[in-house]
Formats: sequence, structure tokens, C-alpha cells
Amino acid sequence: MFKVSPLRKRQVIGGIIGIVLGVSLFYIFTLDATEDYVSIGPMNTGHEPLNCFACHADAKGNLMQQVQSNFSHAVGAREEGVDFGTQDVTVDNCLQCHDRPNDRHPVYRFSEPRFKDAIQNIDATTCITCHTEHEDERVSVASINYCMNCHQDLVVENDPVDIPHVTLIAKEEWFTCIQCHDFHGNHRYDVPEKMSDTIPMHVIQAYFDGGEDPYGTDKKYIALSQEEWLKTLDK
Amino acid sequence: MKSIIKLLLASAFVFTLNSCGGVPEEKTADAGEEKAFAVEEVLEMVAKENDVTRTLYTKAIVGKGKKQGMKFDEDWRKDDVEAGPLPALFLRGVATSIRKSPVPLGLYLGSDFPVNAANKFEGKQAELFTQIKEDQKPQFFFDEDQKLHTAMFADLASAGACVSCHNDHPQTSKTDWKLGDVMGATTWQYPKDSLTYKETVAVLNSYAQGTVDIYMEYLDEIEAFKESEKPEIGNKWPAEGNYLPTPEVFLDSVRKLSSYETMKHLVAATK
Repeated sequence: MFKVSPLRKRQVIGGIIGIVLGVSLFYIFTLDATEDYVSIGPMNTGHEPLNCFACHADAKGNLMQQVQSNFSHAVGAREEGVDFGTQDVTVDNCLQCHDRPNDRHPVYRFSEPRFKDAIQNIDATTCITCHTEHEDERVSVASINYCMNCHQDLVVENDPVDIPHVTLIAKEEWFTCIQCHDFHGNHRYDVPEKMSDTIPMHVIQAYFDGGEDPYGTDKKYIALSQEEWLKTLDK
Repeated sequence: MKSIIKLLLASAFVFTLNSCGGVPEEKTADAGEEKAFAVEEVLEMVAKENDVTRTLYTKAIVGKGKKQGMKFDEDWRKDDVEAGPLPALFLRGVATSIRKSPVPLGLYLGSDFPVNAANKFEGKQAELFTQIKEDQKPQFFFDEDQKLHTAMFADLASAGACVSCHNDHPQTSKTDWKLGDVMGATTWQYPKDSLTYKETVAVLNSYAQGTVDIYMEYLDEIEAFKESEKPEIGNKWPAEGNYLPTPEVFLDSVRKLSSYETMKHLVAATK
């Protein structure tokens, strides 16, 4: 049916191989079994069993519709563009499994105007500031002295700690906060009263890097597993 | 000839691309509906509901409940504490519930003398709060950073329990509060400058649902009490004994107290 000029033979064969290879790769890399190869990096601690779709939901429309919509948006024929391939991951995705009534630092609180300066130093309105995904760790924040952004004026009456909070703050010992207090406040444990009994920094750092939980494993709320999360969607 | 083929191919590509139609544009449920209220009016309405709810909770639940031996504590969520939420934490519970709803309403509580130093107003809020303390009038501004319409309303010491708890609290930074004082302010945020009737009702409903959610959390805590005496949950209030109203009874009372003002606004908009 098609007559290929002998001079074009190599290009045609190359083109066919390219199409077959492209379709094969598209098929292979969209299989569940190959998700690890598509991922931009290993999942963070606790997220290892998750499939891509748990966070990366399919964008609305098919590929052609998405191309057309974004093309129309680019030429001004449409007000809003659309997500291409998968939807953007937002805080809401995280909260679907991690929302807890006892969170002492829920992200929404930092949208209040008075945190304007604080969130310029550390954007606590979004989870990924401290928990960047695909880094094979638990906490990715650059420095652990973030409490300084809001708690400079902290006063603890009848302070039980051998080195009082006011002294620690005056000396700008902001790294010591996390040695007693877990940021989200979900662990059940006895807070030490002697600085010598606090969790050493290297243990905290190992925990941040994905190691053992130094605050203990007794937690009031446990995040949903993928199966539990899927059940909530069914409801 | 070649250029004709190229043109045909290009036309076919554009036709194919166009023939499937794009992703339908997001239309909000209220698209085409007339805007009925300015955001300031809506925030005033919901703030009024908040005043009534908080006063009822503080006076009829916390104030009277304490006389029956019920406990209220800032650590009420901790397992080893058998208590209910203090009024400020009740409000935070409402705010958390609202954020989980599809309504983009933000609610916060702050002061210049907060029990928790981290709740002290700063910047624009501190500036406007000085004015609120003088005249108790609401203050409105547009938060340029977040592109949110923002309103602040005085939070008054409306019950004896507010005054005594704050004056006696070990962490308090002020010990001479008295009834009627402006103890702080609620801050409310909403992204649009005007709302349809439906959006307005959604805002009011999300607040009401928030009060039910936090109140139910309190009742769940009571259910888990191991050592403290559990009050009977039903139609009666703590003023009558060791009783607590059900969430429905509590919300009914809020509606009875606040509905006239709110209805006046809603009905006026439909005329």
C-alpha cells in the first residue's frame, strides 16, 4: 500500500522502531510494577507502601483534551489552564491521611496574618516545607531551630526543667526544643525535666533521616494506610 | 504539492485536537447567581453567630458545668486529662472543622495579652486591635500577601468564667480582667469580595457544623472518661445538675439566640 523510496528506507525503519519503542516504554512505565523506576526518588519513611496514585491523581480529561485546553489557554481562548497528566499534589492530599484533631501545629493556623514574617522564614502553611517527598527520609527541614520564629516570648510558669525555658531562649538554644517536644504533638511520652535526660541531637537527626522514633511508638492517632484511605473515598 | 500536503496534515492535526473538546471549564455551583452580600456583611453575620455560640458555651456549659464539678482544661485532648475544651479551644475546634469543609473560611483568635504567648497579635492585626479596644467596632482589611478579605471582631469577657479563668491562669500575662473587657479579637478571612445567597448560607452552615463537630468531640472525650463522673447527655443543661445537652439541643439553643439577627440579613437580601 505504501511505497517507500529506497532513499527513505532507513528513515522509515527508524521511525517504525521509534514508534514501537515509544509505545512499549509508555506501556511498561505505566504499569504498577515499574512505579519505582518512574518515581523521582525513594519514598519517605512510612510512605514506602504507597502507590503513585495515592498522591498523584489523574488529571481531568484525556491527554488530547488536556493538550487542547492548555493550548487554548496559551493563546488566550480559555481562562484557566488544566493539570497535565496528573493533578498537583496539595496539602489536602497529605491531610486526607494525616489530619489529626490533636495536631499542635496544624498548617491552616499559619495562614493567619500575624504569621506573615514567620512563614517567610519557614512556610508552615504547607507540609512539604519540612517533609519534602521522594527524599528517603522523614524530615527534610534545613535547620532544626525553627521554633525561634514564633516562640521568642515564651514564658513557662513553675518551669519544671533544670535549665529553665527562659534561659534556653535567652541563650538562643533553639535546637533543644525538639529534644523534648515533638512538633506535631502526637506521641504519648513523659517529657524529661533534666536537660541531661533529653533526646541527644544525633538521635533526633537520625530520626529525621528516617531512623527509629526516639519519642516512642505510642501515638494517639495513626495515619491512614492506603487501604484505609481508599475506604474513606468509597464512603 | 508538498506544501498542500503539509497544510492538509496541519489542518487534520488541529481538527483532531479540537474535535475531542477540551477539559470542561470549572464552573462554580453558583455561576450566574447574583451576588447578594458583601464579604463584610457575611463575616459580621457569622461573627455574631460566633459571639452567641461562645457565650452560650462559656456561660451555660463551662461556667455552670464547673459548679457541677465538670472540668475544662487546655490539655483536654490528652489521654490522662479528663476534661472539656476551654472556650478558646472550643473556637479553635470550630476553626479546624471549618477548614475541613469546602468553605474557604478562616477563623483565628488572638489577643495582646494571650495566655499562650504564641497567640499574641503582631503587625497589622496588633495595629487594628488597638482600635478595636477603643471602640469595639469591627475592622476590615485586605490581606495582600494571601489575597484574602479579612475582618477582626472584638472578643469580649462576656461571662464570669472568662474573667476568673484568665486572671487565675498560671501562664496569664494580665491578672486584672473584668467583665465586658475586650480580651481579644477573632480574625476571619474569605477569598471573595462578595457572596451569593448560597455561598452565604454555606458559610453560616460551616460555622454551625463546626460547633457541632467540636462539641461532639467533647462528648466523645467524656465517653472515654475512666475516673471522672460522666454527666448525663440529653435535653438538660449543667444548670440543672450533672447534665450536658446533646449536640442537637446545644445547636438549637444557638439558633434560637442568633437566628433573628441572621434571618433579618438573609431575608433582606431576598427582597
